[in-house]
Amino acid sequence: MNKVLRFFSSLRLTVVLLALSLALIFFGTLAQVETGIWKTQKDYFESFFVIWRYPEAWIAHDWFFWSGIPLPGGYLLGGLLFINLIVAHITRFKLTLKKSGIFLVHFGLILLLVSELLTDILSVESQMAIDEGSQSNYSEDYRDNELVLIDRNHPDFDRVHSIPVDLLKPGKVVAVPNTDLKIRTLHYYPNANIGRARNTAQSQSPATRGAGVKMGLIVTPKRVTYSEDTINTATAYIEVIGPEKPLGTWLVSNVIDERFPPQMVKMGEQSVEIALRSKRYYYPFSVELVDFSHDKYPGTEIPYNFSSEVIVGHENTEKSQNALIYMNHPLRYEGLTFFQASFANNDMTSIFQVVRNPGWTLPYISVILMGLGMIIQFGMHFFKFLNKRSR
Amino acid sequence: MYYNQHFPQAIVLCILTLAVLGCDQAQPTVYEIPKEDRSATVTSKTEQGASAPANSTTMQILPGMQKSADSAPEIIYSAPTAWEALEPSGIRKANLKVDSDNGSAEVTILTFPGDVGGTLANINRWREQIGLDPATPETIGQFSEPYEIAGHQGLYIRLKGRSQSVLGAILPFHGNTWFFKMIGDTPIVLANDSTMKQFLNSVRFADHVHNHK
Repeated sequence: MNKVLRFFSSLRLTVVLLALSLALIFFGTLAQVETGIWKTQKDYFESFFVIWRYPEAWIAHDWFFWSGIPLPGGYLLGGLLFINLIVAHITRFKLTLKKSGIFLVHFGLILLLVSELLTDILSVESQMAIDEGSQSNYSEDYRDNELVLIDRNHPDFDRVHSIPVDLLKPGKVVAVPNTDLKIRTLHYYPNANIGRARNTAQSQSPATRGAGVKMGLIVTPKRVTYSEDTINTATAYIEVIGPEKPLGTWLVSNVIDERFPPQMVKMGEQSVEIALRSKRYYYPFSVELVDFSHDKYPGTEIPYNFSSEVIVGHENTEKSQNALIYMNHPLRYEGLTFFQASFANNDMTSIFQVVRNPGWTLPYISVILMGLGMIIQFGMHFFKFLNKRSR
Repeated sequence: MYYNQHFPQAIVLCILTLAVLGCDQAQPTVYEIPKEDRSATVTSKTEQGASAPANSTTMQILPGMQKSADSAPEIIYSAPTAWEALEPSGIRKANLKVDSDNGSAEVTILTFPGDVGGTLANINRWREQIGLDPATPETIGQFSEPYEIAGHQGLYIRLKGRSQSVLGAILPFHGNTWFFKMIGDTPIVLANDSTMKQFLNSVRFADHVHNHK
């Protein structure tokens, strides 16, 4: 066991891990050019292993397309560094006044590693788009989709049955919670082109109900894009199965949205709406956009300030408040942070990045700890040196 | 050497925890939300963005189209005085209203990247909106004629429906397609044929290539 502990506590391991981290960041940066920041982060830093592929855009890709470099992912390196540091402290370091600075630096580092993991696991990012003069009580994650069956029969509320798209695997049957319904996925396309059939021969579609049939829509699968400003058109053919018999097959897609009449699944008297949409997060409050301003430097089109004046109306009126959100000045409310992210619609719509990150204070604390540790460590050396000289 | 004898187990536990946290499978959920007025959403979104009422002939506005509309060159035109100019909204580059005793019509200018499915598909979308059967490539000439707009070759289209009619023009322009459309009650639309052409003649584009000011 001693050997194992010695291996995990060794400085050599630290150096190797740091060198591998350097390599990971280097190849991650190369990959980011091709796949964008979001995918690279998932592939390289929120993973245990990753294989770097020869980029398509590089010369002689036809010859080298097969080449790749396997690398340890961020979770593996971060996890090992974490273990390395902890084991080293338990087996090698002794807390003394002389070493207190180093201890603080290390503790800050451990906290930073933990906070990064917490952020990966717990933080949720989404966007809220609001038109001037209107309000919203939900935000949407444009990278994730959900199949929803919405029961609007109750007079006081709507009930949303949400099924994550991860469960939409061809042939798989999923029970819709709290109902007698089941859904069976016939096809799921993470990205697709939806168009109208030009002739009847083309319009052979598995859909038997809803917009897919009425509009003669056909689906052409498309490669998933990871570009920052494009949204994948997630599309699926979903068969809804009632308690006794199948009720039909619907074409659902996140572009068949509120601009279209709702697609209804009818079971006798009752009916529920079916839709595939960007994953939504609902809140017990609504945000109203009073005014969005987009100031430019005089005589130019160069923006100098974006700001949104909002009123947050909570179910509990004591929690309602007004706020002005602008660059570097987000609104922190109910554990959420609203950043001014973008705008659209001739400056009539403001778009906020809504972030829930329960561990957002940890990196600040860890950086303060590390700074303090360094001051103590260098300060001690400095005073020792001064003492030596004065003697 | 000082160490806790249970330490190796702790390491294994740490790694297992990480592994378990790493693969959480999403599950179906149910939640209740305040009642949403679905019909209201349809109208407001249509007014802002879509080119037609929210029926089956709505043009599919894909993500990115808004952005492209925002980045398209500015359009300059002079509208007949009888037309009432409304605020351009969403992807509409211009929004005008024509009112008279014979009924009313609206005039819109829209732009989209690419050919938006081709000329025939777009003409047929308009035909469907006013209740006409789809046209074929052979019959297209019966109701359209080549027409030059801002120095570029376009197509002028005259669609007569029973109660609603369309006067329109489609102009491919540097990778984008521009749609000029008057839709409304048949008498007023047909009466505006020459006015619509005058309106199209007044159109100029202002971008880095075409600075017709």
